[in-house]
Amino acid sequence: MASTGIIENQFLETELNVSAKRTETLFKILFMFMAGLLILPVLIILTTLVVKGSSMISFEFLFGNPTNGMTEGGIFPALLGTVWLVGVALVISVPVGVAAAVYLSEYAPDNWFTRAINLAIINLAGVPSIVHALFGVGAFVIFFGFGTSILAASMTLAVMTLPVVIVATRESLQAVPHAFREACWNMGATRWQTIRRVVLPNSVSGILTGVILEVSRTTGETAPIMFTGAAFFIPVLPESVFDQTMALSLHLFVVSTQVPHVPEALPYGVALVLISMVLLMNSASIALRMHLRGKKKW
Amino acid sequence: MKFGRIITLSVITTLAISGQSLAANKLIQNKGSDTLVNVAQAWAEEYPNVNPDVTVAVSGGGSGTGIAAMINGTVDIANASRQMKKKELKSAKDSGQNPVEHVVGYDALAVFIHENNPANEFSFNQLGKIFGRGGDATKWSDLGLTVPGCDSDKIVVVSRQNNSGTYAYFKKAVLKSAARAGIISKGSFRQGTLDMHGSKDVVDLVEKTPCAIGYSGLAYATDHLKLACISKEDGASCVSPSVATASDRSYPIARPLFMYTNGEPQGAIKEYMDWILSEAGQCILVNKGYAPVRDVNCP
Repeated sequence: MASTGIIENQFLETELNVSAKRTETLFKILFMFMAGLLILPVLIILTTLVVKGSSMISFEFLFGNPTNGMTEGGIFPALLGTVWLVGVALVISVPVGVAAAVYLSEYAPDNWFTRAINLAIINLAGVPSIVHALFGVGAFVIFFGFGTSILAASMTLAVMTLPVVIVATRESLQAVPHAFREACWNMGATRWQTIRRVVLPNSVSGILTGVILEVSRTTGETAPIMFTGAAFFIPVLPESVFDQTMALSLHLFVVSTQVPHVPEALPYGVALVLISMVLLMNSASIALRMHLRGKKKW
Repeated sequence: MKFGRIITLSVITTLAISGQSLAANKLIQNKGSDTLVNVAQAWAEEYPNVNPDVTVAVSGGGSGTGIAAMINGTVDIANASRQMKKKELKSAKDSGQNPVEHVVGYDALAVFIHENNPANEFSFNQLGKIFGRGGDATKWSDLGLTVPGCDSDKIVVVSRQNNSGTYAYFKKAVLKSAARAGIISKGSFRQGTLDMHGSKDVVDLVEKTPCAIGYSGLAYATDHLKLACISKEDGASCVSPSVATASDRSYPIARPLFMYTNGEPQGAIKEYMDWILSEAGQCILVNKGYAPVRDVNCP
């Protein structure tokens, strides 16, 4: 009888086991709580915007011109301006970024030149947006003579977001298994044929991630466009890339800090439209990405 | 072929866009003073109804920003709530610009306090003590006041960023005068003021802060603030800020508002400037809370 008792006791938890388990649970809950905290700001921001701003949203608000000293009317010139700015920035940065990433991933040997480029990309990503803005004024507005225009603003945005596109593209190119390339080369295909037929089609979903990130960032940026192409107020819609334009992000800044006697809901309405635009574009791109990923063959 | 086609297409599109002639409409670039920006916006909003062929693009940023843009030659009209300094005029000349000054209106610079603040009037010397470096009023009790809701008793001094024309004018008109009277040693702002980035920020802050005092253009005043009555000399009768008292120059801190053009204005810019100074243009200015340059009968 006594001997079985000893055997049973071997499986009983010791004091040490119990305390270790308790600590384990404690830390698990603590970490979970911290992770859960991340949702909090998102929820608070969205709820506040919807509660305070949704009363503003109407057809006239989205598609009308601002009137009465920008305290009434709509935001269409700003909305359209943001679409222009983001669109032109994409047209510039995606070809350049993807081409640069293809070179770095598929062609570049590991030498000082490649390392210098990589260092430049990392540093470019770390430059604050206001510095990009001043660079944009000096380079595009004055030196290249584009003036304050959509072109100058979009180029500034493009320079700012290039690192995102390059890094995301390079990573997704490198995620394509090396065996795919080798198989292709063994069939006598050139590097460019391999890239076009095998590597790029298989990495499109990753490249899109970079583009998504770029779009979200450019839509909300204010500093880089403030001096290079966005105006406080302009009564006409932009017609070419050499025109100045209003932009949603700057309009939000203006109606919340510069214009007196603005109804309280107006800035919230503008912010709600801005954030909805970003979320909408993000979801569309994510849906496209999932669709493309479903076609992946490995 | 797909990628090649996309690249060719984008190149063609870019060329087509850049080849397109600049819009037939004349564009006037107008930039500068945050005090003037809302009137400038109202003018730009109305002007297409007067002349549909001309578009006015308005940007803010402060008088300094507008003047710098005039020196760079990147604007047609620079707005400023102060005159250009000699140094600025010189650097404009050096870069081939010839700024010509136009007074387009007057602005009463109001001193704001919280609506619960029992104070009603301030003299230049008192303002000097509050705002000036070395001034001896740092608590409301130093002025013999008890402000409800201001438990710390400390005066929260609200000012503007130093490229603001409002900042420069307040310093020149009020602090220099107090310095001449010997109230403060130098006519400069004290350390530790809260420097706001726009007139509206000043108003918003003072509205919410019982301990605060600030200044801005009268046009930014709201119903939730008290506008102090201002006297130039201690004991003299004070004048409240209003469009009327700014127009007849009886309010002591009223200042001219300027627009600078490069050379004497011509063509579309001249027409725009003439319209601004016409009865129609000046009435828009009056509606925004500024004083006109001449007598007008506004509806």
